[in-house]
Amino acid sequence: MRVSPLWRAAAGGLNEAFLRCLVGQHTRLSQDHLTPELALHLITPACHLWHSTVENSPLDDPFWAFYWPGGQALTRYILDNPKLFHGKTVLDVGSGCGSAAIAAVSVGASEAVANDIDPVAEIAIKMNMEKNGVIVKPDTRNYLASKSTQLQDTSKIDIILIGDMFYDPNFAHLISNWLQSIHPSSMVLIGDPGRHSFKQHPLHSSLKLLHRYKLKKTSQLENNGLTEAGVWMFNRLHKV
Amino acid sequence: MSGLRVIVGCKRVIDYAVKIRVKPDKLGVVTDGVKHSMNPFDEIAVEEAVRMKEKKLASEIIAVSCGPTQCQETLRTAMAMGADKSIHVEVDAATYENLQPLHVAKILAKVAQDEKADIVFTGKQAIDDDCNQTGQMVAALLDWPQATFASKVEKANGDLTVTREIDGGLETIKVKLPAVLTADLRLNEPRYATLPNIMKAKKKPMAKKKPADYGVDVAPRQSILKVEDPPVRQAGSKLDSVETLVGKLKDAGLVPS
Repeated sequence: MRVSPLWRAAAGGLNEAFLRCLVGQHTRLSQDHLTPELALHLITPACHLWHSTVENSPLDDPFWAFYWPGGQALTRYILDNPKLFHGKTVLDVGSGCGSAAIAAVSVGASEAVANDIDPVAEIAIKMNMEKNGVIVKPDTRNYLASKSTQLQDTSKIDIILIGDMFYDPNFAHLISNWLQSIHPSSMVLIGDPGRHSFKQHPLHSSLKLLHRYKLKKTSQLENNGLTEAGVWMFNRLHKV
Repeated sequence: MSGLRVIVGCKRVIDYAVKIRVKPDKLGVVTDGVKHSMNPFDEIAVEEAVRMKEKKLASEIIAVSCGPTQCQETLRTAMAMGADKSIHVEVDAATYENLQPLHVAKILAKVAQDEKADIVFTGKQAIDDDCNQTGQMVAALLDWPQATFASKVEKANGDLTVTREIDGGLETIKVKLPAVLTADLRLNEPRYATLPNIMKAKKKPMAKKKPADYGVDVAPRQSILKVEDPPVRQAGSKLDSVETLVGKLKDAGLVPS
Protein backbone atom coordinates (compact mmCIF):
# COMPACT_ATOMS: atom_id res chain seq x y z
CA MET A 1 0.00 0.00 0.00
CA ARG A 2 1.46 3.35 -1.04
CA VAL A 3 1.40 5.99 1.68
CA SER A 4 3.10 8.81 -0.19
CA PRO A 5 0.41 11.45 0.52
CA LEU A 6 0.92 10.70 4.18
CA TRP A 7 4.59 11.38 4.15
CA ARG A 8 4.12 14.35 1.88
CA ALA A 9 1.94 15.89 4.58
CA ALA A 10 4.50 14.90 7.15
CA ALA A 11 7.34 16.27 5.05
CA GLY A 12 5.66 19.65 5.17
CA GLY A 13 7.19 19.91 8.60
CA LEU A 14 4.18 18.48 10.40
CA ASN A 15 5.82 15.45 11.75
CA GLU A 16 9.54 14.88 11.68
CA ALA A 17 9.11 12.08 14.17
CA PHE A 18 6.94 10.18 11.70
CA LEU A 19 9.57 10.45 8.97
CA ARG A 20 12.28 9.35 11.38
CA CYS A 21 10.21 6.25 12.13
CA LEU A 22 9.69 5.60 8.43
CA VAL A 23 13.41 5.91 7.67
CA GLY A 24 14.30 3.78 10.69
CA GLN A 25 11.76 1.12 9.78
CA HIS A 26 12.76 0.72 6.15
CA THR A 27 16.55 0.95 6.44
CA ARG A 28 19.41 -0.78 8.23
CA LEU A 29 22.53 0.86 9.63
CA SER A 30 25.10 -0.23 7.10
CA GLN A 31 28.89 -0.20 7.09
CA ASP A 32 29.12 -2.50 4.10
CA HIS A 33 30.53 0.06 1.69
CA LEU A 34 33.76 1.89 0.82
CA THR A 35 33.59 4.01 4.00
CA PRO A 36 32.97 1.55 6.86
CA GLU A 37 34.00 4.33 9.30
CA LEU A 38 30.53 5.75 8.71
CA ALA A 39 27.37 3.89 9.72
CA LEU A 40 24.56 5.00 7.43
CA HIS A 41 20.82 4.35 7.26
CA LEU A 42 20.48 2.52 3.94
CA ILE A 43 18.13 0.10 2.20
CA THR A 44 20.24 -3.07 2.08
CA PRO A 45 19.54 -6.55 0.64
CA ALA A 46 18.27 -7.43 4.14
CA CYS A 47 15.44 -4.86 3.87
CA HIS A 48 12.16 -5.84 2.28
CA LEU A 49 12.11 -2.68 0.14
CA TRP A 50 15.24 -3.91 -1.64
CA HIS A 51 13.02 -6.45 -3.38
CA SER A 52 10.05 -4.13 -3.77
CA THR A 53 8.76 -2.57 -6.96
CA VAL A 54 8.76 1.21 -7.30
CA GLU A 55 4.94 1.16 -7.06
CA ASN A 56 4.97 -0.68 -3.74
CA SER A 57 7.54 1.51 -2.04
CA PRO A 58 6.09 3.75 0.67
CA LEU A 59 9.06 6.06 0.11
CA ASP A 60 8.90 8.07 -3.08
CA ASP A 61 12.15 7.43 -5.01
CA PRO A 62 14.35 6.98 -1.91
CA PHE A 63 17.59 7.89 -3.68
CA TRP A 64 19.06 8.84 -0.31
CA ALA A 65 18.57 5.26 0.89
CA PHE A 66 21.24 3.93 -1.46
CA TYR A 67 24.89 4.79 -1.13
CA TRP A 68 25.62 5.71 -4.72
CA PRO A 69 29.01 4.49 -5.97
CA GLY A 70 30.11 7.99 -7.01
CA GLY A 71 29.26 9.22 -3.50
CA GLN A 72 31.15 6.32 -1.94
CA ALA A 73 34.29 7.11 -3.93
CA LEU A 74 34.03 10.79 -3.10
CA THR A 75 33.50 10.11 0.62
CA ARG A 76 36.42 7.63 0.65
CA TYR A 77 38.58 10.30 -0.96
CA ILE A 78 37.59 12.83 1.73
CA LEU A 79 38.40 10.43 4.56
CA ASP A 80 41.77 9.62 2.94
CA ASN A 81 42.70 13.29 2.38
CA PRO A 82 41.85 15.12 5.62
CA LYS A 83 44.40 17.90 5.00
CA LEU A 84 42.50 19.06 1.94
CA PHE A 85 39.38 19.66 4.03
CA HIS A 86 40.82 21.01 7.25
CA GLY A 87 39.09 24.28 8.19
CA LYS A 88 37.30 24.45 4.85
CA THR A 89 33.66 25.21 4.08
CA VAL A 90 32.02 22.51 2.03
CA LEU A 91 28.83 22.23 -0.03
CA ASP A 92 27.66 18.71 -0.88
CA VAL A 93 25.18 19.01 -3.76
CA GLY A 94 22.70 16.14 -4.09
CA SER A 95 23.85 14.90 -0.73
CA GLY A 96 21.51 11.88 -0.52
CA CYS A 97 22.43 10.06 2.68
CA GLY A 98 24.78 12.95 3.58
CA SER A 99 27.93 10.81 3.63
CA ALA A 100 30.27 13.27 1.89
CA ALA A 101 29.26 16.21 4.11
CA ILE A 102 29.51 14.03 7.22
CA ALA A 103 32.96 12.80 6.16
CA ALA A 104 34.13 16.36 5.46
CA VAL A 105 33.20 17.53 8.97
CA SER A 106 34.64 14.42 10.56
CA VAL A 107 38.06 15.14 8.97
CA GLY A 108 38.03 18.76 10.08
CA ALA A 109 35.99 20.90 7.69
CA SER A 110 34.71 23.99 9.51
CA GLU A 111 31.24 23.67 8.00
CA ALA A 112 29.44 21.36 5.58
CA VAL A 113 26.08 21.96 3.93
CA ALA A 114 24.32 18.73 2.93
CA ASN A 115 22.04 19.81 0.11
CA ASP A 116 19.27 17.54 -1.14
CA ILE A 117 15.84 18.65 -2.36
CA ASP A 118 14.12 15.52 -1.01
CA PRO A 119 12.61 16.33 2.43
CA VAL A 120 12.96 12.69 3.48
CA ALA A 121 16.66 12.86 2.61
CA GLU A 122 16.92 15.80 5.01
CA ILE A 123 15.67 13.55 7.81
CA ALA A 124 17.98 10.72 6.80
CA ILE A 125 20.93 13.15 6.73
CA LYS A 126 20.07 14.29 10.27
CA MET A 127 19.81 10.71 11.49
CA ASN A 128 23.10 9.79 9.81
CA MET A 129 25.01 12.80 11.21
CA GLU A 130 23.71 12.06 14.71
CA LYS A 131 24.77 8.42 14.36
CA ASN A 132 28.27 9.51 13.34
CA GLY A 133 28.56 12.25 15.97
CA VAL A 134 29.08 15.25 13.70
CA ILE A 135 26.99 18.26 12.75
CA VAL A 136 26.28 19.15 9.14
CA LYS A 137 23.72 21.63 7.85
CA PRO A 138 20.92 20.00 5.86
CA ASP A 139 19.53 22.28 3.17
CA THR A 140 16.67 21.42 0.80
CA ARG A 141 16.97 24.41 -1.54
CA ASN A 142 17.44 23.66 -5.21
CA TYR A 143 20.90 25.09 -5.81
CA LEU A 144 21.07 23.94 -9.40
CA ALA A 145 17.97 25.93 -10.34
CA SER A 146 19.20 29.01 -8.47
CA LYS A 147 19.77 32.24 -10.35
CA SER A 148 23.31 33.55 -10.33
CA THR A 149 22.43 36.26 -7.79
CA GLN A 150 21.81 33.57 -5.22
CA LEU A 151 25.05 31.94 -6.23
CA GLN A 152 27.00 34.77 -4.59
CA ASP A 153 26.89 32.27 -1.75
CA THR A 154 29.33 30.01 -3.53
CA SER A 155 32.15 32.55 -3.05
CA LYS A 156 32.15 31.51 0.59
CA ILE A 157 32.42 27.85 -0.28
CA ASP A 158 35.90 26.38 -0.48
CA ILE A 159 34.96 22.96 -1.80
CA ILE A 160 31.89 21.82 -3.75
CA LEU A 161 31.20 18.09 -3.79
CA ILE A 162 29.15 16.39 -6.52
CA GLY A 163 28.65 12.71 -5.79
CA ASP A 164 27.10 10.65 -8.58
CA MET A 165 24.87 13.34 -10.02
CA PHE A 166 25.50 12.47 -13.67
CA TYR A 167 22.92 9.70 -13.75
CA ASP A 168 20.54 11.51 -16.08
CA PRO A 169 21.47 13.40 -19.30
CA ASN A 170 19.32 16.45 -18.46
CA PHE A 171 20.74 16.60 -14.99
CA ALA A 172 24.27 16.33 -16.31
CA HIS A 173 23.57 19.33 -18.50
CA LEU A 174 22.13 21.28 -15.56
CA ILE A 175 25.20 20.58 -13.42
CA SER A 176 27.69 21.51 -16.10
CA ASN A 177 25.87 24.82 -16.64
CA TRP A 178 25.83 25.43 -12.92
CA LEU A 179 29.55 24.72 -12.66
CA GLN A 180 30.16 27.56 -15.14
CA SER A 181 28.39 30.00 -12.84
CA ILE A 182 29.86 29.18 -9.43
CA HIS A 183 32.59 31.29 -7.90
CA PRO A 184 35.97 30.52 -9.52
CA SER A 185 37.76 30.12 -6.21
CA SER A 186 35.69 27.10 -5.21
CA MET A 187 37.28 23.70 -5.77
CA VAL A 188 34.93 21.15 -7.34
CA LEU A 189 35.26 17.40 -6.73
CA ILE A 190 33.08 14.93 -8.63
CA GLY A 191 32.50 11.25 -7.87
CA ASP A 192 31.18 8.99 -10.65
CA PRO A 193 31.16 5.26 -11.45
CA GLY A 194 31.37 5.74 -15.22
CA ARG A 195 27.73 6.48 -15.94
CA HIS A 196 26.83 6.99 -19.56
CA SER A 197 25.80 10.65 -19.09
CA PHE A 198 29.13 11.36 -17.38
CA LYS A 199 31.42 9.64 -19.86
CA GLN A 200 29.65 11.22 -22.86
CA HIS A 201 29.52 14.72 -21.39
CA PRO A 202 31.75 17.44 -22.92
CA LEU A 203 32.61 18.43 -19.33
CA HIS A 204 34.63 15.24 -19.10
CA SER A 205 37.56 16.86 -20.92
CA SER A 206 37.85 19.48 -18.13
CA LEU A 207 38.24 16.87 -15.40
CA LYS A 208 41.34 15.44 -13.80
CA LEU A 209 41.10 11.93 -12.34
CA LEU A 210 42.34 11.91 -8.74
CA HIS A 211 41.61 8.36 -7.69
CA ARG A 212 39.73 5.24 -8.73
CA TYR A 213 38.15 2.76 -6.32
CA LYS A 214 36.86 -0.78 -6.79
CA LEU A 215 33.26 -1.14 -5.62
CA LYS A 216 32.23 -3.64 -2.98
CA LYS A 217 30.01 -6.54 -4.01
CA THR A 218 26.88 -4.98 -2.41
CA SER A 219 27.30 -1.79 -4.42
CA GLN A 220 27.73 -3.79 -7.58
CA LEU A 221 24.44 -5.53 -6.81
CA GLU A 222 22.59 -2.25 -6.65
CA ASN A 223 24.36 -0.87 -9.70
CA ASN A 224 24.21 -3.65 -12.26
CA GLY A 225 27.10 -3.45 -14.69
CA LEU A 226 29.25 -1.04 -12.65
CA THR A 227 32.41 -2.26 -10.90
CA GLU A 228 34.38 0.86 -9.94
CA ALA A 229 34.05 4.57 -9.25
CA GLY A 230 36.39 7.52 -9.60
CA VAL A 231 36.95 10.97 -8.12
CA TRP A 232 37.64 13.85 -10.48
CA MET A 233 38.62 17.45 -10.00
CA PHE A 234 36.93 20.02 -12.21
CA ASN A 235 39.49 22.24 -13.88
CA ARG A 236 37.91 25.52 -14.83
CA LEU A 237 40.88 26.53 -16.99
CA HIS A 238 39.39 24.34 -19.70
CA LYS A 239 36.33 25.99 -21.20
CA VAL A 240 33.50 23.54 -21.71
CA MET B 1 39.83 -5.95 -26.70
CA SER B 2 38.19 -4.03 -23.95
CA GLY B 3 35.52 -1.50 -24.73
CA LEU B 4 33.19 -3.54 -26.91
CA ARG B 5 29.92 -1.84 -27.72
CA VAL B 6 27.02 -4.24 -27.47
CA ILE B 7 23.52 -3.82 -28.92
CA VAL B 8 20.92 -6.06 -27.32
CA GLY B 9 17.57 -6.70 -28.98
CA CYS B 10 14.78 -6.84 -26.39
CA LYS B 11 11.36 -8.00 -27.55
CA ARG B 12 8.26 -7.44 -25.48
CA VAL B 13 6.21 -10.63 -25.55
CA ILE B 14 3.25 -12.13 -23.72
CA ASP B 15 4.59 -13.40 -20.41
CA TYR B 16 5.67 -17.04 -20.51
CA ALA B 17 3.25 -17.95 -17.71
CA VAL B 18 0.14 -16.57 -19.45
CA LYS B 19 -2.36 -18.94 -21.09
CA ILE B 20 -2.51 -17.86 -24.74
CA ARG B 21 -5.93 -17.33 -26.36
CA VAL B 22 -6.48 -17.16 -30.11
CA LYS B 23 -8.54 -14.20 -31.35
CA PRO B 24 -11.99 -15.04 -32.79
CA ASP B 25 -10.86 -14.02 -36.31
CA LYS B 26 -8.05 -16.61 -36.03
CA LEU B 27 -5.50 -14.10 -37.34
CA GLY B 28 -3.60 -13.62 -34.10
CA VAL B 29 -3.70 -14.01 -30.34
CA VAL B 30 -5.34 -11.86 -27.67
CA THR B 31 -2.84 -9.32 -26.35
CA ASP B 32 -5.12 -6.72 -24.72
CA GLY B 33 -5.04 -6.79 -20.92
CA VAL B 34 -2.52 -9.63 -20.97
CA LYS B 35 0.67 -9.54 -18.91
CA HIS B 36 3.75 -8.94 -21.03
CA SER B 37 7.43 -9.12 -20.19
CA MET B 38 10.80 -9.30 -21.89
CA ASN B 39 11.33 -12.33 -24.11
CA PRO B 40 13.20 -14.72 -21.77
CA PHE B 41 15.94 -15.44 -24.34
CA ASP B 42 16.51 -11.70 -24.78
CA GLU B 43 16.76 -11.42 -21.00
CA ILE B 44 19.56 -13.99 -21.17
CA ALA B 45 21.24 -11.89 -23.88
CA VAL B 46 21.00 -8.75 -21.68
CA GLU B 47 22.42 -10.66 -18.72
CA GLU B 48 25.37 -11.92 -20.76
CA ALA B 49 26.08 -8.41 -22.04
CA VAL B 50 26.03 -7.06 -18.46
CA ARG B 51 28.41 -9.83 -17.35
CA MET B 52 30.71 -8.89 -20.23
CA LYS B 53 30.61 -5.32 -18.94
CA GLU B 54 31.35 -6.45 -15.40
CA LYS B 55 34.32 -8.42 -16.75
CA LYS B 56 35.41 -5.19 -18.49
CA LEU B 57 35.02 -6.87 -21.87
CA ALA B 58 32.20 -4.54 -22.88
CA SER B 59 32.13 -0.79 -22.33
CA GLU B 60 28.60 0.09 -23.31
CA ILE B 61 25.33 -1.80 -23.61
CA ILE B 62 22.52 -0.38 -25.70
CA ALA B 63 19.10 -2.07 -25.44
CA VAL B 64 16.81 -1.76 -28.46
CA SER B 65 13.12 -2.63 -28.71
CA CYS B 66 10.74 -2.23 -31.65
CA GLY B 67 7.02 -1.94 -30.97
CA PRO B 68 4.31 0.07 -29.23
CA THR B 69 4.84 2.48 -26.31
CA GLN B 70 4.73 -0.34 -23.74
CA CYS B 71 8.09 -1.57 -25.08
CA GLN B 72 9.58 1.20 -22.97
CA GLU B 73 8.84 -0.91 -19.88
CA THR B 74 10.87 -3.72 -21.43
CA LEU B 75 13.73 -1.31 -22.06
CA ARG B 76 13.55 -0.02 -18.48
CA THR B 77 13.91 -3.62 -17.34
CA ALA B 78 16.97 -4.04 -19.56
CA MET B 79 18.47 -0.86 -18.10
CA ALA B 80 17.66 -2.00 -14.55
CA MET B 81 19.58 -5.17 -15.38
CA GLY B 82 22.56 -3.03 -16.38
CA ALA B 83 22.16 -1.70 -19.94
CA ASP B 84 23.57 1.84 -20.17
CA LYS B 85 21.01 3.35 -22.50
CA SER B 86 18.22 2.29 -24.78
CA ILE B 87 16.52 3.04 -28.06
CA HIS B 88 12.78 2.62 -28.50
CA VAL B 89 11.84 2.25 -32.15
CA GLU B 90 8.16 3.01 -32.01
CA VAL B 91 5.82 0.97 -34.19
CA ASP B 92 2.09 1.53 -33.62
CA ALA B 93 0.01 -1.39 -32.39
CA ALA B 94 -1.70 -2.04 -35.75
CA THR B 95 1.56 -2.08 -37.72
CA TYR B 96 3.22 -4.10 -34.98
CA GLU B 97 0.82 -7.00 -35.57
CA ASN B 98 2.49 -7.49 -38.93
CA LEU B 99 6.02 -6.54 -37.97
CA GLN B 100 8.31 -9.37 -39.02
CA PRO B 101 11.83 -10.52 -38.18
CA LEU B 102 13.18 -8.99 -41.39
CA HIS B 103 11.96 -5.53 -40.37
CA VAL B 104 13.44 -5.83 -36.89
CA ALA B 105 16.68 -7.22 -38.32
CA LYS B 106 16.99 -4.26 -40.70
CA ILE B 107 16.42 -1.84 -37.82
CA LEU B 108 18.94 -3.62 -35.55
CA ALA B 109 21.49 -3.69 -38.37
CA LYS B 110 21.08 0.04 -38.89
CA VAL B 111 21.32 0.77 -35.15
CA ALA B 112 24.47 -1.38 -35.02
CA GLN B 113 26.05 0.74 -37.75
CA ASP B 114 24.94 4.05 -36.22
CA GLU B 115 26.21 3.07 -32.78
CA LYS B 116 29.43 1.50 -34.13
CA ALA B 117 28.57 -1.71 -32.31
CA ASP B 118 30.96 -4.63 -32.03
CA ILE B 119 28.30 -7.15 -31.04
CA VAL B 120 24.60 -7.49 -31.77
CA PHE B 121 23.14 -9.82 -29.17
CA THR B 122 19.60 -11.20 -29.30
CA GLY B 123 17.72 -14.13 -27.85
CA LYS B 124 17.81 -17.23 -30.07
CA GLN B 125 14.09 -16.77 -30.70
CA ALA B 126 11.05 -15.02 -29.26
CA ILE B 127 8.63 -17.17 -27.33
CA ASP B 128 5.61 -15.67 -29.08
CA ASP B 129 6.22 -16.28 -32.80
CA ASP B 130 9.13 -18.75 -32.38
CA CYS B 131 10.65 -17.41 -35.61
CA ASN B 132 14.33 -17.81 -34.75
CA GLN B 133 15.29 -15.52 -37.63
CA THR B 134 16.22 -12.06 -36.37
CA GLY B 135 19.81 -12.68 -35.26
CA GLN B 136 20.63 -14.62 -38.40
CA MET B 137 19.12 -11.93 -40.62
CA VAL B 138 21.10 -9.19 -38.85
CA ALA B 139 24.29 -11.16 -39.53
CA ALA B 140 23.36 -11.50 -43.19
CA LEU B 141 22.43 -7.82 -43.58
CA LEU B 142 25.67 -6.65 -41.97
CA ASP B 143 27.77 -9.44 -43.48
CA TRP B 144 29.05 -10.25 -39.98
CA PRO B 145 29.87 -13.69 -38.60
CA GLN B 146 27.26 -15.23 -36.32
CA ALA B 147 27.32 -17.49 -33.29
CA THR B 148 23.77 -18.64 -32.64
CA PHE B 149 22.34 -20.72 -29.77
CA ALA B 150 25.23 -19.65 -27.56
CA SER B 151 25.60 -21.42 -24.21
CA LYS B 152 29.00 -19.95 -23.38
CA VAL B 153 30.81 -16.85 -24.59
CA GLU B 154 34.51 -16.26 -23.88
CA LYS B 155 37.07 -13.85 -25.17
CA ALA B 156 40.03 -15.18 -27.08
CA ASN B 157 42.50 -12.46 -28.07
CA GLY B 158 40.66 -10.32 -30.58
CA ASP B 159 37.98 -12.93 -31.18
CA LEU B 160 35.20 -14.64 -29.28
CA THR B 161 35.04 -18.34 -28.52
CA VAL B 162 31.40 -19.38 -28.43
CA THR B 163 29.98 -22.72 -27.36
CA ARG B 164 26.79 -23.51 -29.26
CA GLU B 165 23.98 -25.86 -28.38
CA ILE B 166 23.47 -28.23 -31.28
CA ASP B 167 21.47 -31.40 -31.73
CA GLY B 168 22.78 -33.93 -29.24
CA GLY B 169 25.80 -31.93 -28.10
CA LEU B 170 27.88 -28.80 -28.14
CA GLU B 171 29.91 -27.10 -30.81
CA THR B 172 32.68 -24.61 -30.03
CA ILE B 173 33.46 -22.01 -32.65
CA LYS B 174 35.64 -18.94 -32.94
CA VAL B 175 34.17 -15.77 -34.41
CA LYS B 176 35.85 -12.55 -35.38
CA LEU B 177 34.39 -9.26 -34.26
CA PRO B 178 32.11 -7.56 -35.07
CA ALA B 179 29.67 -10.43 -34.73
CA VAL B 180 26.08 -11.37 -34.07
CA LEU B 181 25.34 -13.61 -31.08
CA THR B 182 22.08 -15.26 -30.09
CA ALA B 183 21.50 -16.58 -26.59
CA ASP B 184 20.29 -20.07 -25.74
CA LEU B 185 18.66 -21.11 -22.47
CA ARG B 186 21.77 -22.40 -20.68
CA LEU B 187 23.98 -19.37 -21.31
CA ASN B 188 23.22 -17.90 -17.87
CA GLU B 189 20.50 -17.25 -15.34
CA PRO B 190 19.35 -13.64 -15.59
CA ARG B 191 19.35 -11.50 -12.44
CA TYR B 192 16.22 -9.95 -10.99
CA ALA B 193 16.10 -6.19 -11.03
CA THR B 194 16.01 -4.83 -7.46
CA LEU B 195 14.56 -1.49 -6.31
CA PRO B 196 17.84 0.46 -6.44
CA ASN B 197 18.46 -0.72 -9.99
CA ILE B 198 14.89 -0.01 -11.10
CA MET B 199 15.04 3.49 -9.60
CA LYS B 200 18.33 4.30 -11.26
CA ALA B 201 17.14 2.84 -14.58
CA LYS B 202 14.36 5.44 -14.67
CA LYS B 203 17.07 8.06 -15.12
CA LYS B 204 19.02 6.33 -17.87
CA PRO B 205 18.69 7.78 -21.37
CA MET B 206 16.08 6.35 -23.74
CA ALA B 207 16.04 7.62 -27.32
CA LYS B 208 12.77 7.50 -29.25
CA LYS B 209 12.94 6.66 -32.94
CA LYS B 210 10.74 5.47 -35.80
CA PRO B 211 11.52 2.78 -38.41
CA ALA B 212 11.59 5.59 -41.01
CA ASP B 213 14.50 7.19 -39.11
CA TYR B 214 16.48 4.10 -40.09
CA GLY B 215 15.06 4.06 -43.60
CA VAL B 216 13.24 0.80 -42.95
CA ASP B 217 9.96 0.07 -44.73
CA VAL B 218 7.80 -1.96 -42.38
CA ALA B 219 5.26 -3.11 -44.96
CA PRO B 220 4.60 -6.81 -44.28
CA ARG B 221 6.36 -9.36 -46.49
CA GLN B 222 4.19 -12.24 -45.34
CA SER B 223 0.52 -12.42 -44.47
CA ILE B 224 -0.86 -14.53 -41.67
CA LEU B 225 -3.49 -16.91 -43.04
CA LYS B 226 -4.51 -18.67 -39.87
CA VAL B 227 -3.61 -19.01 -36.21
CA GLU B 228 -5.00 -22.06 -34.44
CA ASP B 229 -5.13 -23.45 -30.92
CA PRO B 230 -3.45 -26.79 -30.45
CA PRO B 231 -6.04 -29.60 -30.71
CA VAL B 232 -8.01 -30.07 -27.49
CA ARG B 233 -7.11 -33.30 -25.73
CA GLN B 234 -9.96 -35.80 -25.55
CA ALA B 235 -11.22 -36.57 -22.07
CA GLY B 236 -10.22 -39.95 -20.65
CA SER B 237 -12.35 -42.36 -18.63
CA LYS B 238 -11.85 -44.35 -15.48
CA LEU B 239 -12.19 -48.14 -15.64
CA ASP B 240 -12.75 -50.43 -12.69
CA SER B 241 -10.73 -53.48 -13.77
CA VAL B 242 -7.83 -54.64 -15.92
CA GLU B 243 -10.23 -56.90 -17.88
CA THR B 244 -12.33 -53.91 -18.97
CA LEU B 245 -9.15 -52.07 -19.99
CA VAL B 246 -7.92 -54.99 -22.12
CA GLY B 247 -11.40 -55.27 -23.65
CA LYS B 248 -11.38 -51.56 -24.54
CA LEU B 249 -7.88 -51.76 -26.03
CA LYS B 250 -8.92 -54.75 -28.14
CA ASP B 251 -12.06 -52.95 -29.32
CA ALA B 252 -9.96 -49.98 -30.33
CA GLY B 253 -7.60 -52.29 -32.22
CA LEU B 254 -4.64 -51.15 -30.13
CA VAL B 255 -3.65 -54.66 -29.06
CA PRO B 256 -4.12 -57.87 -31.06
CA SER B 257 -7.40 -59.63 -30.21
